[in-house]
Amino acid sequence: MSSARPATPASPKNYKVKAAQQGQPMYGCEHLQKLFNQDQVTTNTSIHHYKMILRTIFDQTPVVSQTVKVVDTQQVVTTLTPTYLCLQCPSTVTEEDRIKHGNKKSHRFYVDSRSAALYCQMCDDMVYDPTFEELRLKKLGTSTFSNTRKRKQDELFSPDPVKDSPAYISQNTTTATCKANGLRGIYNAGATCYQNVVLQSFLHNPILRNYYLSDGHSGCDTPHCLSCAMDDMFQDFYAVENTNGYTAANILSGFWISERKAFENLVTTKEQDAHEFFQFLAEELHERNGDGKKPEIGSEHSCNCIIHQTFYGKLQTQTTCQNCQGVTNQVQSFLDLSLPLENLTQKKGGKKLLGGKGTMTLQECLDEEYVKLDKCEYRCNGCNSTQQARRQTSIKRLPNVLSIQLKRFEYKQGRHERAAKIDTPVQFPLQLNMLPYTTVGRSGDTKDSYELARQCTYDLLSVVVHVGEIDTGHYVSYCRVGDQVCPFFSLWKMAMLTRLKVVRFQRPQGGSCPEVGRAQRKSLPLVLYCQVVDVGTLLGFLGRAGWTVSISSNGTGPTF
Amino acid sequence: MSSGTGDTGLAGIVIAPEDATSMDKLAHSVLDDILYDLVHDLLIRVHRDEKSARANTAAIKVEKLALGAIDGSTPDQRPDVEIETDAAIYKDGRVTLKGNPLKTTKEILCPRCNLPKLLHPTDGKGAKKPDPGVIYCKRHPYIEKPGFDIYGQTWVAPGPGRGKKKKDMEKKDLNDPNSPVPGTEGSAKDRPPNVLSFPSATCSKCKRCILVTRLNNHMGSCIGNSGRNASRAAAQKISNSNGGSQNNDNTPPGSQKGTPLPGSRAASPKKRDMDDPDDDAEESDASKPKKKIKLATTSLNKKVTLKAANTTKKEKAKASSMLNVEQKVDDEDGKNSTVQVAPKKTNPKGPSPVKNKIKVAKPTQPSPAGKAKVKVRERDLETSVSP
Repeated sequence: MSSARPATPASPKNYKVKAAQQGQPMYGCEHLQKLFNQDQVTTNTSIHHYKMILRTIFDQTPVVSQTVKVVDTQQVVTTLTPTYLCLQCPSTVTEEDRIKHGNKKSHRFYVDSRSAALYCQMCDDMVYDPTFEELRLKKLGTSTFSNTRKRKQDELFSPDPVKDSPAYISQNTTTATCKANGLRGIYNAGATCYQNVVLQSFLHNPILRNYYLSDGHSGCDTPHCLSCAMDDMFQDFYAVENTNGYTAANILSGFWISERKAFENLVTTKEQDAHEFFQFLAEELHERNGDGKKPEIGSEHSCNCIIHQTFYGKLQTQTTCQNCQGVTNQVQSFLDLSLPLENLTQKKGGKKLLGGKGTMTLQECLDEEYVKLDKCEYRCNGCNSTQQARRQTSIKRLPNVLSIQLKRFEYKQGRHERAAKIDTPVQFPLQLNMLPYTTVGRSGDTKDSYELARQCTYDLLSVVVHVGEIDTGHYVSYCRVGDQVCPFFSLWKMAMLTRLKVVRFQRPQGGSCPEVGRAQRKSLPLVLYCQVVDVGTLLGFLGRAGWTVSISSNGTGPTF
Repeated sequence: MSSGTGDTGLAGIVIAPEDATSMDKLAHSVLDDILYDLVHDLLIRVHRDEKSARANTAAIKVEKLALGAIDGSTPDQRPDVEIETDAAIYKDGRVTLKGNPLKTTKEILCPRCNLPKLLHPTDGKGAKKPDPGVIYCKRHPYIEKPGFDIYGQTWVAPGPGRGKKKKDMEKKDLNDPNSPVPGTEGSAKDRPPNVLSFPSATCSKCKRCILVTRLNNHMGSCIGNSGRNASRAAAQKISNSNGGSQNNDNTPPGSQKGTPLPGSRAASPKKRDMDDPDDDAEESDASKPKKKIKLATTSLNKKVTLKAANTTKKEKAKASSMLNVEQKVDDEDGKNSTVQVAPKKTNPKGPSPVKNKIKVAKPTQPSPAGKAKVKVRERDLETSVSP
C-alpha cells in the first residue's frame, strides 16, 4: 500500500521539453537539465509520471496523495500536512523520509502534494521548471493537458494560426508600458458611482479585457457606440501611463444617448441601482457586438457575442406534477443569479434572538434557491387541470463569469409600506463550488468527482458593495487585480485606498499579464484571499476564469 | 489520525494542555497541522514567484550579454555564442541555470522592459529611497500611506467651487483678496505633481468643456431632458401638440360643440361660449412665447459655437501638456463658472436678468474670456464682501 497510483506503462508518445523561450531558462535547475538530457525514455517517464502525480493530487480524493508509508517502520499513515510524491517511482514519503528514500533509490525529485511543486534534493529547494509548470497550470486551469476546448463558447478564444504567430503579434501590437496595470479610479461625474463600480468590474474581468485588448470590437462606425467607449476605456486603463482618474465621458454620453425603453428610468442624474446598470450595459454591449437581436433573458437565446459568452448561463426549471408525476422542463438563459435574502433573514431572525450572530453564507442563499424544492400551482398538460406541483430550479449551464446579485431589499409591512434594505451580512467564499447547484450535480454520482468539482469552481473576481441607506449611499467595488485586490471608489475616495488597504491576494495560478494588443487566452482560475464582509446587496459576477461577486442595492450613488 | 510525531501537529504551535482529553489533543493537533499547511502554501507561492523572477532575470541578463557579444545587428535571431555568467549559461540559443538563482541573482529585472524592478515603495510604509542612478521599471510597488493612493497621489482639498459654501470661500479671499485663485488648489503652479484635481471633459453633444464632477448633470440637461431646457422643450412640445391637434382636427367646430363632454352635459351653451375665447387667448399666449423661445435658442446657438471654438483650443493646449499653466487657467475658468452658478442656483425660479447680461457679455469678450470673467467675478466678490 505504498501508493494508490496505478502503474501505467509509459505511453509510446514522445514527450517534449518545453521549447526555449526568451527571458526564461530552459530548465528549473541544473539537475533537471541532466535528467531531461539523459535520453528520450527518461524524459518520457518523467513527464508522464508528473502528469500522473498531477491527476492523483487534483483529481482524486486527497486521501490518496496524503497517505504515506514511513520508511523505517513500514507503517502506513495518512497525514494532513504535505507529503512528497516521488517523480521516479510510485512511492509517497514524508518530508523527513525524503532523504532516506533518496539515498536508498537515488531518486532525487519529489512533488509536493499540496501545490504540485517540484522539490529537487540536490538543490535542496523547490524548483520551477517551465515544462512542469506549464502542465501544472493547465491541470489547474482547464483540468486537461491538451489545448483542445470542449466548450463551444471558447471558439472565440481558439487560436488563430495567422494572428497568433509571434511575428504577427510583434508587428501589429505595441507593448504597453509597465506602468499601465489597469488600476485607476474613475471620476464620479455626479452620482455616477453606480456606473463606475460596474465599469471597474468589467475592466478587471479577464475575458472582457482580453476581448477588448485583442481588438475584439473594431471597425465600428456607429456614433456614440458604447462598445467603442468601452474599447477606449480598456486602452486607457491598460496602455496609458496615467495613474490619475479616468473620465468616463464617452460611456456617460453613450448612456444618455441610448434610448432603451427598459432602462428609461435609469437615465437620470439621480442615484441609481448598479445592478440595473449592469443589465443595461450587458444588453447594450450585446447589441453592439452580437447578432443585433434583443437578448431574451426569458427564453433560450444563444448568441455568440462576448457578453453572452462571458455572462450568460442557463437555468433549468423542472416542474413535477403532484397528481400524475409528469415532469416538464423549462430552460431559461440568465445573465445573473438573483438571490432573495428576505426569507432567509426571517428564518435567521429567530436564531438571532437566541444569540446567534445573524449572518448567513452565500451557499445558504444558493441552497435556498437552487437546491430546495418549492411548491407551486401549475396547469398540467397530462391531467388537463390545475394541479399542485413541485418545482426545482438548477443550473443547466454555468457561465464563464457568474454574476450573483443579492436582493437586499424588502417591503416592510405596516402603516407605511416602504422598501427597506436588509443589512444582514452575507459571507461569501473566495472560491465557490457551484457543482451542487447544477443539473449535473443534482443528478448524483458526482460526489467523488474532484475534476468536475474543479470545473465548477469559481474564484472571486470582484465585489460591488453598497454602503448607506436604500435611497441614498455609495457604491464601492473590489476587484481582483493580478495577485491583489484593490478597492475602487470613485476617484473622489481613491485616497481611501489606504484606509481599506490594498489587500494582498493569492497570485492567480498562472495569472495572465495584461498585454495590450492581445492578451493571453486562457481560462485559469484566479484566486482571491480576502474576506470582505459585505454591507450592501450583492450583484455578483463569478467566473470560471475568475469570479466576481458584486454587491448592489436599490438605487444609490454618492451625493457629491 | 494526525501525523504529528510529538504531542501536536507539524507546526508545533497549537499545543493542548497537559491534562487535555485525547479528543482535545486531536483537535489541537489537527488545528496545528492546518496552520502548518497554510504557512506551507503561502511560502510555496511566494517562493515560486521570487525564484521564477530571479531565474528569468538570470536568463535575461545572459541573453543581453549574448546579444551584445554579436553587436545586436540581428536582434531576432539567437546569437550563436557561448556566454557564462555567475547565474546562467548561454549556449546554442538556450539558457540554462547555474546554481540556485535565489543565491546567484540579487536583483529582479522586469520580463517586459528588462529594467530592474523597484523592490520597495518610494513613499509611505516600508519606503526606501531608490538609487537615483538607476532607471527602474515603471511599475512600482504600491504605496501605503494615509491620505494617499497606491501611486502616492493625493487629492486637492475641497475648496470653493468644489461643493463648499460661500463662507469658506470668502474667508480665503479676505486673506488674499488680490489673488485670483483662492485656496490651496489655486496655487496650482506650486502644486506637486502627485496632487490631483478634477479634470474637465468635453461633452460629446455640445463640445463644451465641463468639469467632470458636473458632467452627469450637464449631460442630463444637454442630452437628456432634465435641465433648464427641459421645461422649454416640454412647453414647446405642449404648445406644438396643442396647435397640432387644433389644426389636424377635421371635425368642424360646430360638431365639436355638439358633442358634450361627459360630465358637462348640463353645461349651458352660454358657458361653453364663455370658455371659447379663453381657449383662443391661451392659444395666442402660447404662440407668442414660442417665438420668443425660438429667438432665444438661436442666439444661444451662436454663443455655443463661439464658445466651442474656444474650448477646443484649450483642449488642444491641455493635451500637449497635462499640468501646465494653460490648464490651470482653464481650471480656474471652471471654478469661476461654478462660483457664478452658485447664486443662480439659490433662486432658480426667480427672474435673473443679471444672468442674461453676463451671458451676453461672455461671447463679446474676445480671446481672454477667462480673464475677463475673473475680473467680473472679483468685483462681484468685493461688493459682496464690503458691506
